[in-house]
Amino acid sequence: MGVNPIVILGSVLYFAVIFWIGWSSRKASLNASDYYVAGRKVGAFVNGSALAATYFSPASFLGLPAFIFILGYPFWWALVGIIGGMPIATLLTAAPLRKYAPTSFTDYYADRYDTKWMRLVAGIPTLIGGLAYVILSIVGTALFLLAILKLNFTFSVILASVVIFLYIYYGGMVATTFSTAFQGIAMTVASVLAAGYVIAHYGGLNGLTDATLSISPNFFNLPYVSAAPSHAIMASWTGVVGFFFVWHFGFSAMPYTVVRFFTTQDIKSARRSVFWAVIIGGLMYCGLIIIGTGARVLVEQLHPLMQTEGIANAMDVFKHMQTAYGVAGASVTDYSMIAAMEALNSPFLLSVVAAGGLAIAMATAAGWTMVLNILLGRDLMGKVFGSTLPEEKPVMVTRVMTTVVLVLCMLLSFNPPALVLDISGAAFVVILCSVGPPLILGIWWARATTAAAFINIIVMTILSTGSWMYANRVLKSAHWFFLSDPANKISTPHQVYWVFVGFIFFIIISLMTKPNSEEVIKKYSLDIRPDL
Amino acid sequence: MFKGMPKIFWIGMAIMYGWCFLFMFLEMTIPGLPLKRFLGVPACYIYNWIIGLFLINVLVSFIFYRSEEKREELKAQTKAKV
Repeated sequence: MGVNPIVILGSVLYFAVIFWIGWSSRKASLNASDYYVAGRKVGAFVNGSALAATYFSPASFLGLPAFIFILGYPFWWALVGIIGGMPIATLLTAAPLRKYAPTSFTDYYADRYDTKWMRLVAGIPTLIGGLAYVILSIVGTALFLLAILKLNFTFSVILASVVIFLYIYYGGMVATTFSTAFQGIAMTVASVLAAGYVIAHYGGLNGLTDATLSISPNFFNLPYVSAAPSHAIMASWTGVVGFFFVWHFGFSAMPYTVVRFFTTQDIKSARRSVFWAVIIGGLMYCGLIIIGTGARVLVEQLHPLMQTEGIANAMDVFKHMQTAYGVAGASVTDYSMIAAMEALNSPFLLSVVAAGGLAIAMATAAGWTMVLNILLGRDLMGKVFGSTLPEEKPVMVTRVMTTVVLVLCMLLSFNPPALVLDISGAAFVVILCSVGPPLILGIWWARATTAAAFINIIVMTILSTGSWMYANRVLKSAHWFFLSDPANKISTPHQVYWVFVGFIFFIIISLMTKPNSEEVIKKYSLDIRPDL
Repeated sequence: MFKGMPKIFWIGMAIMYGWCFLFMFLEMTIPGLPLKRFLGVPACYIYNWIIGLFLINVLVSFIFYRSEEKREELKAQTKAKV
């Protein structure tokens, strides 16, 4: 398998469009408002497309097909849960937060809970989740660069970091909003086109299903209806329902999507942008389900490396990629989506998919890096520790933070700690159980208190991170309940129960502690709800 | 809690969760449901892939923004008359 000029041409065209958008909008990001929230002048469709591109990451584009490849049909419900969580955000957080119109994710915590120190506390899980996401975005970009240029993985990681760095350094939120909107379209076109190729290759959905069953007879098995489940983690309904909820509430409360509600023209645009994000993201996910379902059979029947001596199945293909290109850690299975596309032997398709993959990875890296550098610069340096530099030179401070974040994440990307979707799941659960309840209940429950917000964020960050790491280390997978008997493990993907425990814990602590002042509750809770 | 949340939010939630958990429940109780034929293809492509993943969510997000815009228009008209 060598470098294909058509694949390179597709990627060059993609970068040309991104460069053109960045160049056209360069004058628009010269002041702080434009750099942070795009001057609040982005329309519904553009913002919706940018929302989808930012929210969906290589964890979606590479990770979801890889997990369908590993876990089978029951994992389709996880994708239904992710898209199903998006409309909820329309009324739960998008409209109220746009009405409140902050600049940064931590503004709401500082205002609603009436202390600047909430910025620091809310920043801790955001920083953990954010670094995890930038790492997985660099890994995703690197895997696509490897597929395009057939470079060594380590060199691909360095190149990916440089590409993402230049993209954010010269862009800010204006360039990232418009170029991200383009990226949203690119990733959806790539996914739908790839799914069309897969369905056409097998002559329809029936042919695809028969081919899948011929290689993986248990693929469509669910818990309790068959003696052999599709995978041990999917042998009980706690696994299926657990995966449904891991990413479900993310669109309403994850910092990198919440900030995109701030960039819309008005509340009406904020609500409509969710509708467009559901259409764009939903279509992409329809494509990913087909790609994931067909990945194993495509690789084992058609991939050129299957002709190599010593390679007998799809896992052998990935092991070969690991050896040949130095793909480190667990991320080699993430190559399954790209391998399935290589198997179809269409340079045109691979060029479109590679452009879509680069688009989704760069969009997420940009979205999260913006959240992190605003958190570290404007919020912590400026608002918490009193430095005037972020106000006087916001663009310079943000660029310094971008450099720090990307260098750190590049160093951690050389040996990824887990599959990209596992990194994503961990980040989601940690953030949703810690900062999720104070955000959502802060808007919708007048009784939410500052003490509960502090305690919930600290306790839930420690519990969710600790239990995830313990299960991953001791039980060899973060998807088992961390206190399980190793001989009789219970499936609880990513320790997802902490999300629900977090909400209950927050309510109990709020009821036990002193309410906030009436003025704060009116301004940051009652007044930002809809005028009924 | 959730005082001021438009009623349509709860209706949308009922549609989305109702569909998903109904079919999860049916999958628990009907052996081999995903591969049973419906409209000429395995049923899971209809109830999970097309409707559960895409159509239901497009519908819910549409009724969420449309009903809120209608409500705001009505409210503005009432105010103008007063």
